[in-house]
Amino acid sequence: MTSAALIGLPHIMQSKHLAGRLPEPPNPIADDGDETRFCGTCAFSSACIAAGYDKPELVELQCLVEHVGPFRGGEHIFRTGDPFRAIFAVRSGTVKTRMVDKEGREQVLGFYLPGEVIGLNAIYPEHFPCDAVALDTAFFCRFSFPAMSALASRVPAVQQHLFRMLSKELGTASLLAGDHSADERVAAFLMDLAHRYEVRGFSGTRFRLSMSRGDIANYLRLAAETVSRVFSRFRTQGLIEIEGRELQLLDPAKLRQIGQALLP
Amino acid sequence: MATPIVPPEFDPALIARYDVAGPRYTSYPTAPQFQAEFDESALRAVIRASNEEPIPRPLSLYVHVPFCMSPCFYCGCNRVITRDIAQGDRYLERLYREIGLVAPLFDRDRPVRQLHFGGGTPNFLDASRMRELMESLARHFSFSHEPGREYGIEIDPRYANGEYMRELGRLGFNRVSVGIQDFDPQVQRAVNRVQSFDETREVIDAARDAGFRSASVDLIYGLPRQSLDGFSRTLDQVVALNPDRVAVYGYAHLPEMFKPQRQIDAAELPDAATRLALFGRALERLSEAGYVYIGMDHFARVDDELAQAQRCGSLQRNFQGYSTHGDCDIIGLGVSAIGRIGDSYSQNARDLIGYYAALDAGRLPVVRGLQLDEDDLIRRALINELMCHGELDKQRFGAHHRLLFDEYFARDRQRLAPLVADGLVQEDAQAIVVTSRGRLLLRIIAMCFDAWLGDAAQTPRYSRVI
Repeated sequence: MTSAALIGLPHIMQSKHLAGRLPEPPNPIADDGDETRFCGTCAFSSACIAAGYDKPELVELQCLVEHVGPFRGGEHIFRTGDPFRAIFAVRSGTVKTRMVDKEGREQVLGFYLPGEVIGLNAIYPEHFPCDAVALDTAFFCRFSFPAMSALASRVPAVQQHLFRMLSKELGTASLLAGDHSADERVAAFLMDLAHRYEVRGFSGTRFRLSMSRGDIANYLRLAAETVSRVFSRFRTQGLIEIEGRELQLLDPAKLRQIGQALLP
Repeated sequence: MATPIVPPEFDPALIARYDVAGPRYTSYPTAPQFQAEFDESALRAVIRASNEEPIPRPLSLYVHVPFCMSPCFYCGCNRVITRDIAQGDRYLERLYREIGLVAPLFDRDRPVRQLHFGGGTPNFLDASRMRELMESLARHFSFSHEPGREYGIEIDPRYANGEYMRELGRLGFNRVSVGIQDFDPQVQRAVNRVQSFDETREVIDAARDAGFRSASVDLIYGLPRQSLDGFSRTLDQVVALNPDRVAVYGYAHLPEMFKPQRQIDAAELPDAATRLALFGRALERLSEAGYVYIGMDHFARVDDELAQAQRCGSLQRNFQGYSTHGDCDIIGLGVSAIGRIGDSYSQNARDLIGYYAALDAGRLPVVRGLQLDEDDLIRRALINELMCHGELDKQRFGAHHRLLFDEYFARDRQRLAPLVADGLVQEDAQAIVVTSRGRLLLRIIAMCFDAWLGDAAQTPRYSRVI
């Protein structure tokens, strides 16, 4: 049993005409690690390396990291009420977390990008308080939580990292509180995504919106039409360029300014 | 990219050399490549995805009315000859059912920016039926109220009059496309379509009075008994009607494929040289009268939106030829109608039996289609650029689609080489440019980049390029 079950990356490129295709731009798909290297987006690598632990040592510590997936768009990674045994780091793809009330109304809680961790909000109740649904083909590292806790107790840096992730998770909810205009919300949403992509080494000005406009609207507490109207307005104003779901931020400074009330 | 419009050079010898069958690229891949695996669930999935884009595309509705009162012998369209309006009502019943099934799949905030009634003969439906149909569409979809909306209809003037056109204007139509083909009585008798200049003028004038923004007419060259003199008179009459756009189609005589064409005596068809001379005359006469050649079969007044769009680089190819609204998702309604939603094409059952059976069972009547892959999308964009603007910046195109142009299109460029040698296209490290000599042979140029043409066994039949 090793931590690095070598799963091939999702085969995204068409094979019909490969000659002359340029490589994918640095895009949000984690490169695969192996027994001696961490995945490029690993949520824990920096904490472990900083503490002097390299991957082989972690294997010895039996901190079992299991690669799971693919999950197709619409499939659940976990459901509300499932017992909590593990947290999941996104290796590739995008995930939304959501709650569904008694009337069947959905509330989107957040979106998770490669390198980010889902399931942290289940640590205390010991069962998942929400659903996690893949938005496109997604792969994960599954960290057994008992093993994780054991590692954290030996490696203070890992424990600190866990706490940091937890507090960030708590912080994001406040992004949406308060009375803010649709323009502010959408601009803040885009700049938040841009920042998260950027810190993980991806382009912070050019990325694909894998969430539907319905999900974005739900998350931002806006109507779907309003979200589209704001996107159209931003495009007319020369702040963004958008083709299908491919987004380019042409004037991030201006967007940051519009969304500043909601941004850290 | 903004391109000065190069007028085409008419060289009969050159055109004759390239006179082979080829697709018109109103879509890429072309309809013969659509596959039965693209079914109702695939269509529902692409519609869902189209609603979920950050800015869902506006909508374009195509409504097919398959009935004609009388058979024109040249016709290769999907149509049913009848004068029985009860047949029309049975069809409308299913069309309403289809509208009721399809419309709710699209989010209501997506405006219908473009609407086109084609046929067959849309004016087979009388004014009250037309009103009912438009009201149903307006109820189920969100009609656009912008002045730029394009709501068009094809009209056979033999079965329409001024009052009918005024009623269409009240229903919201603002563009009309009128079939003429040829005013020469000899030709009209040979193709079983006798239509006077006066009844044609009545329809166009009434449309203008009723506030229609644009009138276009269709001509056909290569019809039986067509002569240069007769066609020249037709062209003079067409210029007198002052249409905004003129389409000049080449007749493709394929009697094995199109039954009505068996009524045409092949011995009466003009020979290849005359065919070309007929088109050459149209080109000359229309240019003198202030029309610019857009490409393929299409001409437009120099101030028409099509010509403007071509100048500023925003022209698009669509099923009706060229369009300024290429950014819409197209919903095809009615028998044999083709839709283009997201990166897919889909076509309804091509016969009434199949169309009725699907709807009577509560199913969408789609029978085939295609989900375009990345290579298809790249080639569609390339063919669109060449057919609309006659120029392609290889570096920019390569950067946009993440490819090394010369390497990715190595085989295609080999196919293009003889065309470069013949002076139809110029190619250097930076760009591919269609020359004035190549402008009448756009199909041939586009065919070099068609990845689906390689398979000879599957090669479908197309009409000749000119």
